[in-house]
Amino acid sequence: MATDFVARGQDLELVGIRKEFPGFTAIENLDLKIPAGEFFALLGPSGCGKTTTLRIVAGLDEATSGKVLIGGKDVTSTKPHDRPVNTVFQSYALFPHMTVLENVAFGLRQRKVADPLAKATEALQLVELEHLALRKPQQLSGGQQQRVALARALVNRPALLLLDEPLGALDLKLRRQMQVELKAIQMEVGLTFLHVTHDQEEAMDMADTVAVMNKGQIEQMGAPEALYDRPKTAFVARFLGQSNIFVGDVVEENANSISISCNGQKIAAPKSRSEKHTGRVALGVRPEKATFHEDKPDLDSNHNLVGPGEIIDIRFTGVSNQYLIDVPGFGDITVFAQNVGKSPVVELGAQVWVSWKVEHAFGLSDLPLKADNDEA
Amino acid sequence: MKEGLPQDPMMRQLVQMARGKMLSRRATLLGLGGTAAVMSLASCAADTQGALTPAEDLSDSEKVLVWHNWPLYMDGEDDASYPTLNRFMEQSGITVEYMMEIDDNDTWYAKVKDQLALGTDPGFDVACPTNWLVNRMIGLGYLQTLDNANMPNKVANLAPAYLGDANDPERTLSVPYQGIIGGIVYNKKMYKEATGKDAPTSLADVWAPELKGRVGLISEMRDSVGLTLLSQGIDITSDESLTEDAFNAAVEFIAAQVSSGQIFNIKGNSYGEDLTNGNIIVALAWSGDTTILNAEVGEERFGFVVPDTGSTISSDSFVVPMGSAHKKNAEALINYYYDPVNAAELAAYVNYVTPVVGAKEEMLKTDPALAENPLIFPSEEFLSNVFAFRALTGQEEQRFATAWQNVLLGA
Amino acid sequence: MAFVALGQGSSGKTAAPTKASKVAFILLAPGMIYLGLFFLTPLVSLVITSLKTASFTGEIGMYDYAFQVSNYGYALETYFPQIARSFVYAIIATLAALLISYPIAYFIGVKARSKPMLQAFLLTLVIAPFFISFLLRTFAWKQIFSNESPATQFLQSIGVLAPDQYVIGSSFAVIAGLTYNFIPFMTLPIYTSLERLDTRLVEAGSDLYATPAQTFWKVTFPLSLPGVISGTLLTFIPISGDYISASRDFLGGSDTAMIGNVVEANFFRIQDYPTASALSVMLMAAIVVLVSVYVRKSGTEELL
Repeated sequence: MATDFVARGQDLELVGIRKEFPGFTAIENLDLKIPAGEFFALLGPSGCGKTTTLRIVAGLDEATSGKVLIGGKDVTSTKPHDRPVNTVFQSYALFPHMTVLENVAFGLRQRKVADPLAKATEALQLVELEHLALRKPQQLSGGQQQRVALARALVNRPALLLLDEPLGALDLKLRRQMQVELKAIQMEVGLTFLHVTHDQEEAMDMADTVAVMNKGQIEQMGAPEALYDRPKTAFVARFLGQSNIFVGDVVEENANSISISCNGQKIAAPKSRSEKHTGRVALGVRPEKATFHEDKPDLDSNHNLVGPGEIIDIRFTGVSNQYLIDVPGFGDITVFAQNVGKSPVVELGAQVWVSWKVEHAFGLSDLPLKADNDEA
Repeated sequence: MKEGLPQDPMMRQLVQMARGKMLSRRATLLGLGGTAAVMSLASCAADTQGALTPAEDLSDSEKVLVWHNWPLYMDGEDDASYPTLNRFMEQSGITVEYMMEIDDNDTWYAKVKDQLALGTDPGFDVACPTNWLVNRMIGLGYLQTLDNANMPNKVANLAPAYLGDANDPERTLSVPYQGIIGGIVYNKKMYKEATGKDAPTSLADVWAPELKGRVGLISEMRDSVGLTLLSQGIDITSDESLTEDAFNAAVEFIAAQVSSGQIFNIKGNSYGEDLTNGNIIVALAWSGDTTILNAEVGEERFGFVVPDTGSTISSDSFVVPMGSAHKKNAEALINYYYDPVNAAELAAYVNYVTPVVGAKEEMLKTDPALAENPLIFPSEEFLSNVFAFRALTGQEEQRFATAWQNVLLGA
Repeated sequence: MAFVALGQGSSGKTAAPTKASKVAFILLAPGMIYLGLFFLTPLVSLVITSLKTASFTGEIGMYDYAFQVSNYGYALETYFPQIARSFVYAIIATLAALLISYPIAYFIGVKARSKPMLQAFLLTLVIAPFFISFLLRTFAWKQIFSNESPATQFLQSIGVLAPDQYVIGSSFAVIAGLTYNFIPFMTLPIYTSLERLDTRLVEAGSDLYATPAQTFWKVTFPLSLPGVISGTLLTFIPISGDYISASRDFLGGSDTAMIGNVVEANFFRIQDYPTASALSVMLMAAIVVLVSVYVRKSGTEELL
């Protein structure tokens, strides 16, 4: 067997990965480095190439070009069964003809590890399922199956654990619970996790680093907070949370900020938070950073102000209220207001002004496409 | 139940007693065990319950006749022209449905025996099975007695050799259609190549080591075992000579040839394929087929010899079952084929021994060469070396056939 | 299921049958009548015939009602070689059919999954022999391997066969014919179970350090076992009773007869109905026993 029974995670490096399928290119020139012991999330909509990337790392698909390195070792042409990698599949892929215990012991037996059943039992204890060891997978609930799949992968102490939307099939409550457990296990065993998901909350919640993937390329990568706070492309701005985006030509530039003219009104953003400083630029702000006013407020130059507009929709989500305000010339602007007990603050149809601090605005490197709006 | 009793008076009495008992017991069974009777296999319904009577003859109003016969047994068969048969239909106004239903005596009999036993219409009015089966059918009382008055040609032209049979002295229950001689068929060229000799002359030649795996036997017990018995000096026509021990010895001899690999196969009519495709070089088989096989391959590839120890002879005969309503039509057909002109035409095609006196003279007019063929018109001298298998009792038949089948099954 | 429905109806608490049981009974009736008429009646008749004794008159094909159990002993003793041969042939032919069918079924059901046209074409090829009569196909084999055929001469020339050895009439020819004729019965059930195989499980196997061969034996094969079991049953049972391939008129010779040939000979040639029936009953019993043991051992009782 090519792999040792490693106790610690190893780093993963993808160099110039390209994957072509007949008729389309799934991944274009992907470079990625995941440090050892990190919980890394690959986030993107379906069809963005994230699952293909994972399969290339696992060795289940072969890259058209490029290299895969695990712990500095080139495994590009290594067969899947010789890679120090284990996968928790989206479908769990538990062997239906084996007991839960035998499923978990499968990898250990293959590698001729001593006392596989004892180690498998330990792994089941970790996911709190040792009492179901002798059941068949189909007698278990979805969440239990998911934990078995996790135990089956974890028990091998792989250098790299791949998670392919493993929580996708679970209901919200169970998903939250599993997210916490997964994170806890990762911290405990110290393995490198590569987690593929389309659920941005899940990615931000669990990962140390999130890479947002779109159309076969990584759009932006970084810590969840950084990504949320300063999205650099319209896609990231709208895929990771919601954003209000305004497009206009830069009409003013000083040492600290740039301003665009949008329908006769100026909207500013800090220069340090803007990717582009000239020409046609898109600026954005998160809905919870904006506030609305029933009377036109008197604000200083550290604020942007648009309006008046009409409240056309109010949604109650519990912790906050979402207001949709139709401001002529700006389109629909979303504003989140904390639910402070007396709601609604305003009635549907009320005329309001929307404001936010300039320091909360961000400038994007590209302009939003119609398609991106739909995904936001 | 008048027919089919053994000739020996004591045996006859025993059998009659037994039948009496059997009947009464069957009656009880029928009365008490109706369910069991219903459930009994159709094939077991052959237990006759009394003498059968002929069906009413409707020949005067129904000009039809269904004839079951063997394949390759009618002139014009290769192009379905049937010259003699069509002429009969024209002359008589009787429509004959000619069916090549008999591929094997046993299997054909298995299909029709239930209707024969019940005396109902078995699907044919006239058929030509082989004489041992005819004897069984006579014994069981399945056949109608034909009226010689309607068959003047038969009375005039039936070769005397065919008369005087114990079961049917006047040949009114069965009328010979063709005679069949069993002997050695061989591939002339391949036989020469294998043995260096021109033709086999005895059964010993058939068992020669050069022919290992190239010998075929016809599955007809009376021919294959009969020829072997003759080669072992047994008189197959005699009860004293052809005992069960002698029979079993011959069967064992053949079984030994099978296990040693000398015999390639033992089969029914399909042995002809083994000859034409070269699977076998020699076969114990029937004379008439030789000519037909040669016609098939388009050359005089095969020859037929009567072994020096003698050949077997049997015959296929017209019979009319009790269930047939067209006896008079059948008699007309038989009478027609006993006209030497028609018989000669038929014999020229099928190449079997014709039982019709005068056919040879007719043949001399049309095909003198064929008329001299002893296999069609055997001379007295030729016939002196040809023997018919003796009649077997039911038990003998069962035991002999079982022993023979066990050779075929490789037991 | 219908039995259960009926059972519940008749043993229910209320005296009158429930509506459900009436419906079940009506739905069940045609099947029960059919089975009763065409399975049970002949079976009972077969057993009765197998116990008959030869008629006192000694006429051929005449038998009287009796309880002659010795018919079974006689049949077993006389035809033991053919009975043993039947099962040996059937086992060898079934294994051979399995070895040939599995790769075919695997290719069609798994490898060709992404190409439905190819899959349909290959399936048609597997079924295609059914379009031609069983007898004709067997006959074609007989022609191909006749003694003077190029195929046989080739085998003799390369020394596979001695100069005086031939294909037709040998055990090999019969087993090959049986195998060939029943391959679709093996291929289709295996295909059906492989076609449902979740290839993600195979990927999971390779992900868990199993080589392709190990994955096959530990994952793919166990999951296709239901297909393998039904395939072997569908092949083994008819092969045991087959009498065409082993017949002397087809691929067989004088030492290849199987039970089917013995039954045929006893029934049609020598009209020994009791022996033929006894053999049939024994063949049926032997198959039932063998199949139950096999199914139990392989852990797929739900197939029965």
